[in-house]
Amino acid sequence: MEEPSPSVCNLRILDSLSHDSVLAIVQSYNAFCSIVDSLLSGTEDHSVAAEFVPHVHVLCEHGLDSFVCERLFKSLEEAFEKNGALRFWRHFDAYSNVAVLQKSGTHADDELQQVLCAALDEISLVKNYHENCLSMLVDALHSYKEDLPEGRYNLDAERKRLLSRYQLMVSSTLMATLPRQFPEILHWYFKGRLEELSTLMEGEPNVEDGSQDKDDMDVDEKAKLAYKNSEMHVDESYLQGKLTQNNELVKNIGKVVRSLGSLGLTSMAEDAYASAIFLLLKDKVHDLAGDDYRASVLGSVKGWIQAVPLQFLHALLAYLGDNTSYDYPSPGLKSPLAYHPLSRCDGTNISSEGLVRWKLRLEYFAYETLQDLRIAKLFEIIVDYPDSSPAIEDLKQCLEYTGQHSKLVDSFISALRYRLLTAGASTNDILHQYVSTIKALRTIDPAGVFLEAVGEPIREYLRGRKDTIKCIVTMLTDGTGGNPNGSGIAGDSLLEELNRDEEGQENTGADDDFHTDERQAWINAACWEPDPVEADPLKGSRNQRKVDILGMIVGIIGSKDQLVNEYRVMLAEKLLNKTDYDIDSEIRTLELLKIHFGESSMQRCEIMLNDLIDSKRTNQNIKATIQQSRTGPEPQDSELSLDMLNATIISSNFWPQFQDETLNVPEPIDQLLSDYAKRFHEIKTPRKLLWKKNLGAVKLELQFEDRAMQLTVTPLHAAIIMQFQDQTSWTSKKLAAAVGIPVDVLNRRMNFWTSKGVLSETLGTNSGDHVFTLVESVIEGSRNGGNGRGREDLLIGDEEGEHSVASVEDQIRKEMTIYEKFIMGMLTNFSSMPLDRIHNTLKMFCVADPTYDKSLQQLQSFLSGLVSEEKLEMRDGMYALKK
Amino acid sequence: MATVNGYQANTGMSATGGPSSKQSVAPPKTVDSQSVLKRLQSELMALMMSGESGISAFPEEDNIFCWKGTIVGSKETVFEGTEYKLSLSFPNDYPFKAPKVKFETSCFHPNVDVYGNICLDILQDKWSSAYDVRTILLSIQSLLGEPNISSPLNTQAAQLWGNQEEYRKMVLKLCKPSSA
Repeated sequence: MEEPSPSVCNLRILDSLSHDSVLAIVQSYNAFCSIVDSLLSGTEDHSVAAEFVPHVHVLCEHGLDSFVCERLFKSLEEAFEKNGALRFWRHFDAYSNVAVLQKSGTHADDELQQVLCAALDEISLVKNYHENCLSMLVDALHSYKEDLPEGRYNLDAERKRLLSRYQLMVSSTLMATLPRQFPEILHWYFKGRLEELSTLMEGEPNVEDGSQDKDDMDVDEKAKLAYKNSEMHVDESYLQGKLTQNNELVKNIGKVVRSLGSLGLTSMAEDAYASAIFLLLKDKVHDLAGDDYRASVLGSVKGWIQAVPLQFLHALLAYLGDNTSYDYPSPGLKSPLAYHPLSRCDGTNISSEGLVRWKLRLEYFAYETLQDLRIAKLFEIIVDYPDSSPAIEDLKQCLEYTGQHSKLVDSFISALRYRLLTAGASTNDILHQYVSTIKALRTIDPAGVFLEAVGEPIREYLRGRKDTIKCIVTMLTDGTGGNPNGSGIAGDSLLEELNRDEEGQENTGADDDFHTDERQAWINAACWEPDPVEADPLKGSRNQRKVDILGMIVGIIGSKDQLVNEYRVMLAEKLLNKTDYDIDSEIRTLELLKIHFGESSMQRCEIMLNDLIDSKRTNQNIKATIQQSRTGPEPQDSELSLDMLNATIISSNFWPQFQDETLNVPEPIDQLLSDYAKRFHEIKTPRKLLWKKNLGAVKLELQFEDRAMQLTVTPLHAAIIMQFQDQTSWTSKKLAAAVGIPVDVLNRRMNFWTSKGVLSETLGTNSGDHVFTLVESVIEGSRNGGNGRGREDLLIGDEEGEHSVASVEDQIRKEMTIYEKFIMGMLTNFSSMPLDRIHNTLKMFCVADPTYDKSLQQLQSFLSGLVSEEKLEMRDGMYALKK
Repeated sequence: MATVNGYQANTGMSATGGPSSKQSVAPPKTVDSQSVLKRLQSELMALMMSGESGISAFPEEDNIFCWKGTIVGSKETVFEGTEYKLSLSFPNDYPFKAPKVKFETSCFHPNVDVYGNICLDILQDKWSSAYDVRTILLSIQSLLGEPNISSPLNTQAAQLWGNQEEYRKMVLKLCKPSSA
């Protein structure tokens, strides 16, 4: 056999060799080769070692030791490739399509587990065998070197060198032949084991939950407690069983990991179980978090991390650490960081840097997953805000960890645009959501930086809605959110916000009082914190950005004057419809509003309330005069005494304008009213009482043949129904004349009585003339009977267009008609003017009551209204009269 | 000087309260400009709200003492449908002195000269602080239909006045370019 020459120096040796020695070398080499081959093919066992040694010695004598090693390695590589790697991979041929198999369930799972273990066992055996062969060679070399006198030969170093070389060879062989699906198989395997472990672990606390009350204890604590309990009592044997089972499982997994590690697949194994853990964690978070926002899940997620993956990793690392030392930092190497938290949480003393790192990684991942989950559902969470505050709290913690606030802002804004700021959403709902958003985000971000960003689109949108102001005022003054159907979220009013602010900060309310005493300044300075980095420096300092719900709400409208004005109208409506003088709640609201908007702006409202208080007193005084004057002879019409009349005397200058409607009240009532007015004049000379007969409320009792109804209605409704007292059937024209209102108004008002089943409507002889007839008994009426029997309905002003006080829009329209005249006037004399000049001219000359205070935009829309009415025309940006 | 017919009818309406009674008591020579401003503003307001058709006036851009006025000739006169621009300039002691009123567009009228000056008694010696912009404009409007032929500023117009048809043609001819 021609030997290949491995190195130059050997060649020189060959030159000096005698024929004998060449022969000896060839002989020995051939023998060596055959022994090695037979060893590796498994036909001979290690008994050949004895023969093996002398041949090696011979070869070594000729300085061919390195050559011997090469030859052995070559054989080993071939053998491993054939017996080890190829066979090993063949085990997994069946799993070439993992995804399909995974679906087939636990059976395949078990099978895989077995296959994997068997394959690993087998390849380990091969590897061990090879390693033995290797050590045989080392021994042989060793024994040769020992014979040499100068031989100071480091056995261990040599052995290590050869083994690591072999290791390298093994892993490179495996890597080179790695089938595509193997990482997936590993992943699948670890996932399966972890799930198994997870269910095993979860079994534990469930047992505990039975014995302990399911209170809202921190889950970490619970886990700890459960751990202690398991040590102490309950069914110890059962738990012991569980634990040993766990240990068994972990040991199996550990074994697999170790085998893989020894095959040089450490990183692959780590990747596989890491991804399995993360996947499981993600599932767990999704599972726990779900769509329930009423409970905080962060604690239980953390608890689970502690209970399952960390336990697993702990056991795994401990197992690996016990047995091998080459992959992980030794358990003895405790980082100062690691010691404290882990020894406390685990209750064991083995803690390693690796474990701490794992814990941090897992927790960050959990935070991020939960955060993403919550952010995606933030809209829903805020919709049921007060209930969902645990979820908000979770999110806050997550964000503190991850710092991905901008993600929240972006996602939430797009959700808002898509789901809330659409034509279909009612202004009320938008406002409620806005308030909830403010409240919720206030928790997450007290500085209000992100709120600023999120709130802007809502504010922008609300400004475009006409009824925004009205809704806000309603929210301010009562809890129902201005939703008469009651579908609004009750109790979520801004009134409580007013209260809260009153208690808290009085100096941040309105923009006018900015006094901060020194102490407060000191406190502010002491608790200063830098703004979040996302803060917009243009938006001013933190103090000005302080989250103030009312401020933000008022900010939608732009000026508090509009808000106050709307409130005044609403208050007037409310006060006028009161049948008693009970205004306690209104006084309270007003006081709160005063704190916020300043005394001066609420002055008119205060006068209105004072009017009510005065009215009460005056009313009593007038009643007192009746008592005195009643001398006996005339209680003939006892039903209509002044006792029934309560007047609300208003200082009309300070009230909003009223809808002026003429109304003929029935004669006896009219008598009563003028009588009252006369007495008022007697008491309060020179003041005279002027009745607004269409305002106020009337309590009625209607008596029919078979029923009675009690109602509180407007004076107009009362006047109408009074007409039916004497005459049970009226045509609409005649009735309108009797009551003194236009027919169309009457027809609208009649709906009230027909819907109550009191009157029935038939078509009259003349077209457009209706005949109304009193429905005396329920059976007689074809309409729904029993509708309002004895029921007290408070139905004032809730029908469209029945408000007794001119609404703010009406007022604006009225104001605008004045401006219209001015505009017409100036355009008559100046033929054509651009928008800004009209604006400036109005500002300059329209100064008397009402002062021109509209914005350029308002004027523009008004002008375009006039253009569409064909009163004006616009050409090249110039407005002119339409001729 | 001619007495203008329309004026009698208007006196009742023109009393704007305060100033007139004040004047009768003691006409102060120095009036603070504030009250003049107020007066003019309230006159403007009253004029705007009156909705009188055919007369109109409005202050110029930034000076409430200088107004531009517009008069449309009354129906059934030769001036029917024609529009005339005026300028009104108020003195600092208004309303104790009459404003200066001129036609800005040429007006073929016996009592109006080629420069637009108007011969009207209430704008000269018969001025009273009870008058206001509205009454001035109404007076001028009625002057159009009922000129004082006896003391004309424009003799050609005074001579032509007798022939209403020709006069109408003349008015329309002169008016065309301004209204176009």
